[in-house]
Amino acid sequence: MDTLQHLTDGLVAALGWQNLVFALIGCVLGTLIGVLPGLGPAAGTAILIPLTFRLDPTGGLIMLSAIYYGAMYGGTITSVLINVPGEAASVVTCFDGYQMARQGRGGTALGIAAIGSFVGGMVATLALVVVAPPLARVALSFGPPEFFALMLVGLGLVTSLAGRSLLAGLAMAVLGLLIAMVGIDPVRGAPRFTFGIPSLYDGLGFIPVVMGLFGVAEILLTLESPTRQLVATKFTALLPSREEWRRSVGAISRGTGIGFVLGLIPGIGAIIPTFTAYVVEKRLSKTPEKFGQGAIEGVAAPETANNAYANAAMIPLLTLGIPSSPTIAVLMGAFIINGLTPGPFLFQERPDLVWTVIASFFLGNALLLILNLPLVGLWARLLHLPHQYVSVGTLLFCVLGAYSLQQNVFDIAVMIVCGIIGYGMRKIDLPIAPLVLGLILGPFIEKSLRTSLEMSGGDFSIFFTRPLCVALLVIGALILVASALRLAPAEVREARDAN
Amino acid sequence: MSRLVTATFAATLALAAALGGAGAQQSYPTRPIQLMVAFPAGGSTDIAARIVASIAEKELGQSVVVVNKGGAGGQIGWTELTRQRPDGYYIGFINLPATNTVILDPERKAIFTEKDFVPIINQVLDPGLIWVRADSPYKTVHDLIEAAKKAPNTIRTATTGILSDDHLAILMTEEAAPGALFRLVHLEGGAAQLKEIMAGNVDVAFDNVGSIATRVKSGEVRGLAVLDEVRSKFLPDVPTMKELGYPTVISSSTRGIAAPKGTPEPIVKRLREVLKKAMEHPDHVKKLEDAGIAIKIMEGEEYARYFADTHAKAKKYTEWARNRPMR
Amino acid sequence: MRRGWQVGCVCLLGVFAGALITSLSYSLSDNLGPGPGFFPFWLSVTGLALTGAILVQVTSGRLLADAPSDLWPGRQAALQGLAVIVALAAAAVLLEPLGFRLTLLPFVAGLLVALGARSWIAIALCAVGGSFGVFHVFYYWLMVPLPIGAFGI
Repeated sequence: MDTLQHLTDGLVAALGWQNLVFALIGCVLGTLIGVLPGLGPAAGTAILIPLTFRLDPTGGLIMLSAIYYGAMYGGTITSVLINVPGEAASVVTCFDGYQMARQGRGGTALGIAAIGSFVGGMVATLALVVVAPPLARVALSFGPPEFFALMLVGLGLVTSLAGRSLLAGLAMAVLGLLIAMVGIDPVRGAPRFTFGIPSLYDGLGFIPVVMGLFGVAEILLTLESPTRQLVATKFTALLPSREEWRRSVGAISRGTGIGFVLGLIPGIGAIIPTFTAYVVEKRLSKTPEKFGQGAIEGVAAPETANNAYANAAMIPLLTLGIPSSPTIAVLMGAFIINGLTPGPFLFQERPDLVWTVIASFFLGNALLLILNLPLVGLWARLLHLPHQYVSVGTLLFCVLGAYSLQQNVFDIAVMIVCGIIGYGMRKIDLPIAPLVLGLILGPFIEKSLRTSLEMSGGDFSIFFTRPLCVALLVIGALILVASALRLAPAEVREARDAN
Repeated sequence: MSRLVTATFAATLALAAALGGAGAQQSYPTRPIQLMVAFPAGGSTDIAARIVASIAEKELGQSVVVVNKGGAGGQIGWTELTRQRPDGYYIGFINLPATNTVILDPERKAIFTEKDFVPIINQVLDPGLIWVRADSPYKTVHDLIEAAKKAPNTIRTATTGILSDDHLAILMTEEAAPGALFRLVHLEGGAAQLKEIMAGNVDVAFDNVGSIATRVKSGEVRGLAVLDEVRSKFLPDVPTMKELGYPTVISSSTRGIAAPKGTPEPIVKRLREVLKKAMEHPDHVKKLEDAGIAIKIMEGEEYARYFADTHAKAKKYTEWARNRPMR
Repeated sequence: MRRGWQVGCVCLLGVFAGALITSLSYSLSDNLGPGPGFFPFWLSVTGLALTGAILVQVTSGRLLADAPSDLWPGRQAALQGLAVIVALAAAAVLLEPLGFRLTLLPFVAGLLVALGARSWIAIALCAVGGSFGVFHVFYYWLMVPLPIGAFGI
């Protein structure tokens, strides 16, 4: 079979001394970039593009790709250890990962994240090899109307994140959606809710908001009970228990599937697959109340989805030349600077190059696992430092991160305000996850609605005449009905008990 | 007597300041320079910026760090540029006519005007290009325009942003072919255009040669016309709008470097020299050519004049866009 | 807890009301469909309705019947929390005028002391590492622009 031959050739080339070293450097740098604040994968990758000027194209691309999915893992480390997402997609890991760390299971969380990421990445790459081109074309039929419908379905996820009160969850989601409207609107190109502050023209940055809501708020909370018991654990205790393994297996499988499928759709971004995997896991769990308190599936699912997404998102780029996200656009820029245009023609003209890069994904994922698993214990030990140092270190981290995003002090101000708000919300137990979800989905919903209407000339029937769109709307409606039926008995019961 | 002393004292101070100032300028730069790109990393402007930065920094002896300040179609970056200290350590790319339309569109509420920039040197002139999917029924621009006249406001035409050079180019086309009306779909960037064209969600795209030349050459997509006076050397087989009978439809996106108003002339001069040298360097020329980006160096007066001309042209079409029934 | 929710609801009502009023100044509809003010308007309306319902539920006791009541932080925690916020705000204000290094040196040192760290050596090391060390890594190695203040540092 032609593909198999190509793949084998590619593997041989990727195992070559030079390429292996590049992959290794890429993984290390990528993890570092993921851990370091403010240097999201996009910025970090961009910084390293000049390096590719001096390397040969294949090696350079291998390294850049390794940096890309390496960074996905790096962001997990800070999410688990200090409740600060190192990069946007890791925010979901904060929910349970940090709780696990507080219970002394930080190493376990990082470990399962590494293993899940490995599985997710490998499977996604395998699928890339086997089904890439036809699947990519199918994913193309996802246009703005389908996007809109998908985002509505995404909003339905809110019901599973609400916690104590569904109404409160919904209100937080609405607030998130509203906050997302700050900035230049997609209709007129005019600023909205900016009150004359130019820094707001692009909206409230997601990272400063999330760093505040999670990181800074957490520090303020920690001050109330600083000497939290961090059980010094032996290394064997770093491994998940048999029970946890069992639960993780399902989470990893489902996370892989979700991450992979969503990775094929250009423009989705890494956060939506992680949220979806988390919520699906919570819905299917027999103990949903454990989520948010340190359930291992709550880490395994999003982390696997994250990496499966990252690897799958290379498919539209390699097969069709369409970058799925700003980070991949940077990768595409790197290709172009080297005189190569990704797409079907590159696949045909330079199969040696493309397949070597693809083969390197396998290697890269394996390298990430080998690199990170032993380090897990080391990272976990950082938490044993006196709490003042951890807290101040985190704050330094946050200030640096918020500022270096856009060299704008305003972002630090946003972070501080969100920190105070987050603290308040945590104290009275208002759910934060729906707010984050609203914040993410808001821009997507409005833009895709607007673009759909531009496409149809103002005709709303476009949403009902496209089969995929209709299917998604039906699924969304079904999910809402199912949630309503599930939750109605609980609310009724509560009302009855209260009377 | 004391007045003479005071005068001498003042003169000495002034002289010292001038010498000191000149001295400082002679030793410019003494620390890294930030080169701002008003768009996210990986785009056309960014790629070309990084290439020129990596060459220029060798000549300057200090690093030239590319800083991405994307958002609001470039408005955030340009606002930042005009607010920075005019000491030569923060310069940035301006994209014409995008910078112009941001200033001219009252809805955008830009806090800067065209007078807040000191144009240093232009790097790229990327002519507009009309392109369609390889299997599209429109084989020539005439097909497209006829169809737009027969069924006004049905052909889904993609731009890369509201009031982008593509948007204005479509309006120019409508002006040159009365009766033709396109249904505008404002997407965000060239990648989005590629995706929607491939998916069949839009019928035709107005973009720039640099973004899509390699795919036109390979046959993945079909180029209908280049919006320039002469054919693009990257796409010699694609006719110009001038040849096709629409000589007024000339549109391109230029990217050049500017400094905030008030940057001292000696510093501007040095930057201009260094950047020009960098842009003429064979590495720079080759890399940009490989990426399909056309270099057009315009410096000093010439660039300032081009800025003014583009501004005037953009003003006309921005007005039109605001009055058009469907933006 | 109930008091907290009530306060929170009132704040939210304020936010949603403000958003509602502001969104009225953006056009609600366009010839293609929803205008810039459409979504914010309806989101604000929904928000007001939801928050109102929550407020009623909490006040009537139907919600949070089982919640703990004493949530105020202790005196030390409150003071330290205030120190954190003030330090962050000061850092934000001084970052560009004074530069990264000169701002973060007192930031790290001051906060460590405020939170109860005792070892002067450790504090000094962390302060220098956190300001000058971090600056060096980010500015020179990673090419991330960090502010250099009026004193050239």
